[in-house]
Amino acid sequence: MITPSTWEIVSLLLDVAHITFIILLASAVLGLLLGAVLTMINVKNIPVLKQITVVISSFTRSVPIIIQLFIVYYALPPLLGNFGINVTSMSATVAAILALTLYHGGYLTEVLRAAYKAVEKGQHEAADSLGYTPTKKFFRIILPQTVPVALPGWGNALIHLIHDTSLVFALGVADIMGRAELIAASSFGMNQVQVFLIVAAIYIAVTFLSDGMVRLFEKKTQKFKLDSGLKAKRVA
Amino acid sequence: MLAIQNLKVSFGDKEVLKGVDLQVNKGDVVTFIGPSGTGKTTILKCVNYLVEPDEGHMQLADISVDFKKIHKKEILQLRRNTAMVFQQFNLFKNKTVVENVMDAQIAVQKKSKKEAYERSIDLLEKVGLLEKKDEYPSRLSGGQQQRVSIARALAVEPDVVLFDEPTSSLDPELVAEVLKVIERVAQTGVTILLVTHEMDFARKVSNKIVFMEKGHIVEQGSPEEIFEQSQNERTRQFLKHYYPEAIELMAVHS
Repeated sequence: MITPSTWEIVSLLLDVAHITFIILLASAVLGLLLGAVLTMINVKNIPVLKQITVVISSFTRSVPIIIQLFIVYYALPPLLGNFGINVTSMSATVAAILALTLYHGGYLTEVLRAAYKAVEKGQHEAADSLGYTPTKKFFRIILPQTVPVALPGWGNALIHLIHDTSLVFALGVADIMGRAELIAASSFGMNQVQVFLIVAAIYIAVTFLSDGMVRLFEKKTQKFKLDSGLKAKRVA
Repeated sequence: MLAIQNLKVSFGDKEVLKGVDLQVNKGDVVTFIGPSGTGKTTILKCVNYLVEPDEGHMQLADISVDFKKIHKKEILQLRRNTAMVFQQFNLFKNKTVVENVMDAQIAVQKKSKKEAYERSIDLLEKVGLLEKKDEYPSRLSGGQQQRVSIARALAVEPDVVLFDEPTSSLDPELVAEVLKVIERVAQTGVTILLVTHEMDFARKVSNKIVFMEKGHIVEQGSPEEIFEQSQNERTRQFLKHYYPEAIELMAVHS
């Protein structure tokens, strides 16, 4: 039996890397959108819908992600089938994206809500007093002050999401982790330490990139300080 | 120009304003005085609907509203014809000094950037902060921030400027610079409603003083009538504590 060399393993793993990236990118973007919508419902205090956001966010934060994946993939189709919605043909990849989107969105709701609430009431009052419409107020004044507060939390959530993409192989998705399992199995576990160290290295690289991106955003939004300046009384 | 009838406000089960009537003419400088928690700020915040009154009517220039059934449109109209200077300044933290003065002109009044910029520069020069135009508010002292906030209020050419305790969160040595700017604004003939604890200043710039207590207007009149000739026991009690000079003046008069 010929065991593949390190570089062969790397290239075998990178062959399927796009699967992982598609899942990651899709659930990061959709999760951010979902988180934004849930946050809006939450801070606008829309009845009924608000209770639903609370349920989603507490469910996604209290159930282990692997269980969430199983629920979406195995439990959701028959459940929706009862209501006449046929999703039995949902692929494992779509299920993975759906589950991770819910998870990421639920998590981000907490981050975004806290960041939104961190904007002082006085900022709302000032814009209101000048006759801003709610939309103008939000995009010109409130959102630009929410983003810098939300960035560190968002960066953390993103790292969690990156790591959790390694669990989707449990649904049979042939991602990096799924391929790694196969390579390790084909040598009867002889090279599994080597394979998983390589997987670790790939995840380190991705996390590093994501961290760098968040840092860049942080730098870009740092031009103004959010403290009130009340303490800077004697600045000339 | 501004007329308020039977204004009632409550926060939860606490009645803050218990039926207030007020008449303000164009160019008036009306100052509200009285103990803390008597609803002075609340009146100001009803004029631009930052506080929701329970009932009452208000006429501001050609806008007439019944607070019981006010429309979103009317709220925007009220806000677009007034401007407020806040106790805590509330400058937009994500915008530079000049952007703070410009923003409402662009976002609300739909002026061109150039037009807004020129007006803002002009106003910043008048409040003496032209050299700070590109700083963010967090880099300014409280007094400077409040002067910018006055420029921001004037930028939208409001019918009425509402000053809500504009010097109460300033260091004593910074109060004078802000009062000087307010005085100059008052001299331009803009209608002003002012809440302050600076009695000397109130006496100097106002043409009408309103003394309030426990959600009621107790007495109103010219500064002379209130500070020098008040016959009202509660007004005299208040002034005895917060403006002893008035008692001396009253002694001279009687």
